[in-house]
Amino acid sequence: MTKSSEESPSRRTFMMVVIGLISAIVGVALAVPILGEVLSPLFKKRDIVWTELGKVSDLENIEPLVPKFVPVYFRVKEGWTVNTLPRQVIVVKDITGKLYFFSNQCTHLGCPLHWMPARQKFMCPCHGGMFNVLGKVVGGPPPRPLFVWVHKIENGTVLIQNKFLDNPKERGV
Amino acid sequence: MLKKIQNWFDERIELTELINEFNGERIPRRGGWAYTFGSLLAFLFTVQVTTGIFLLFYYVPYFPMARNATYYIKHHVLLGNILLGIHLWGAFTMIFFLLVHMARVYFSGAYKKPRELQWVAGMVLFSVVVVLGLTGYMLIGNENSWWTINVLTNVAAHTPVIGGFLRIIVRGGTQTSVITMQHIFAVHVWLLPIVVIMFIPIHLFLIRKTGHQGMALEYNKSKLSDDDINKWKHPDATIPFFPDQFYKDMIVALAVFVVIYLLAVVYGAEIGPMYRPLALNFAPEADWYFLANEELLKYFPGHGLIIFSTFLVPSIGFAILFALPFIDRGHDRSPFKRPAATVLGILFLLLLVYLTLIGGEPKAPATV
Ligand code: HEM
Ligand code: FES
Repeated sequence: MTKSSEESPSRRTFMMVVIGLISAIVGVALAVPILGEVLSPLFKKRDIVWTELGKVSDLENIEPLVPKFVPVYFRVKEGWTVNTLPRQVIVVKDITGKLYFFSNQCTHLGCPLHWMPARQKFMCPCHGGMFNVLGKVVGGPPPRPLFVWVHKIENGTVLIQNKFLDNPKERGV
Repeated sequence: MLKKIQNWFDERIELTELINEFNGERIPRRGGWAYTFGSLLAFLFTVQVTTGIFLLFYYVPYFPMARNATYYIKHHVLLGNILLGIHLWGAFTMIFFLLVHMARVYFSGAYKKPRELQWVAGMVLFSVVVVLGLTGYMLIGNENSWWTINVLTNVAAHTPVIGGFLRIIVRGGTQTSVITMQHIFAVHVWLLPIVVIMFIPIHLFLIRKTGHQGMALEYNKSKLSDDDINKWKHPDATIPFFPDQFYKDMIVALAVFVVIYLLAVVYGAEIGPMYRPLALNFAPEADWYFLANEELLKYFPGHGLIIFSTFLVPSIGFAILFALPFIDRGHDRSPFKRPAATVLGILFLLLLVYLTLIGGEPKAPATV
């Protein structure tokens, strides 16, 4: 009969080494798929789609410097389904007639902005961020001007992408 | 440094002593490998819980989506196929080794006085783990899941008196719906795992309290008669649980784990098509460990007899197994000294294997 750990110290050491090795092997073999699964979203490409916002002719008729909130519904593949992402586009016409397509999310931490006609400002309800009608920060903690949706005009129709211009870290959206 | 940390804990809670007490359990010496199955089950359960928790990062228990979420885990999540595969093959392996462990305990008569409670706690674990397997099968949300839910809730409805209520409660309504799956989900991930987590320590505590009996060959040198209960508390030679028995436990755990891993990588988990209650030619199948039961269901036709296969035979068989230590009260432990029990055990296992083998064939073939 093989010696027990009590009869032979070297046998004891051997058993301890085997126990340690097996624990390590099983631990790593389980940790690898778990890490893969948990980190999986890091390797996924975001689904980016074009969606119609409206006719340029209609949007060009809005009053200058009065923001108009226009909802869009992006249909994107997410996991095992196609999801609808409802988002607000703030359309603003400046005095030269140029159109802007802002996101309504504050650039500080993403709260939804309110338009205050009396003060001619977008106010953030969360930490007091303020933007003027053309998206510049005029108060509070936001670090940068409002995000602008990626957009293009085709056959008189405005198309919007679920992506912001000039947004390398993909904040918001 | 380590010594210092150890001392810090020892001064306060005598940690070293506690660990030594835990690790020093005396295990009968000769049959070591036969005693590894219990620990193996504890190991497999841990693997199930670990993989299961991480499957929940993506799974949704909603009938119209569950199957696609599972499909997504398998095909679109990095290494998700392995995680899902381990969970599936781990479950199968666990049920298989439950039977092996029970057979080991049965043939060595280790359930007899004073160890009746170990057996009873073990039976609780057995029932719960089998139901964990069945509910897991239902959660995939494929065609088999849908029909399994229907068939098994209908089986439950044959329970006398309360059957009808039982079916409504389990289904969360009078028909199979998304609420049914939500119920099954809660049972599979919360209720039953918690029961197992409570009963494994109870099972182990009882074993330490009475001592580990092992097999009759541990007592060859004992001068006491077989009728003396004290004989079965003092094996000829013992080894400490740690590292001697634990070393064997680990080797067996690794061997089984490697097999599960290979099965997960090579075969993975089959997901099958989305549930289609309207399909005209679908023949539902049960998992392998349920085929014996499935076969039984084919032998009792007609209104008066169905209850034999859905309720009477399974529950009487189950009750006998549950109460085994109180039915078989003889003092002999060696399988050779209690031939009736041994032969019955072997016949039962053969019947189980036979029913399982033929259970896969539908009696009336589905239309093709
Ligand atoms: C999750 C399920 C289970 C776990 C984790 C488990 C764990 C263990 C462990 C670690 C041991 C001691 C070592 C050994 O003999 O294998 C043991 C012994 C025992 N088990 Fe289990 N067991 C489980 C299920 C069962 C079942 C289903 C039964 C019977 C119905 C059962 C009955 C017993 C008995 C009677 C002993 C004492 C054996 C002796 O003293 O020699 N166990 N179990
Ligand atoms: S989120 Fe708008 S100010 Fe903080």
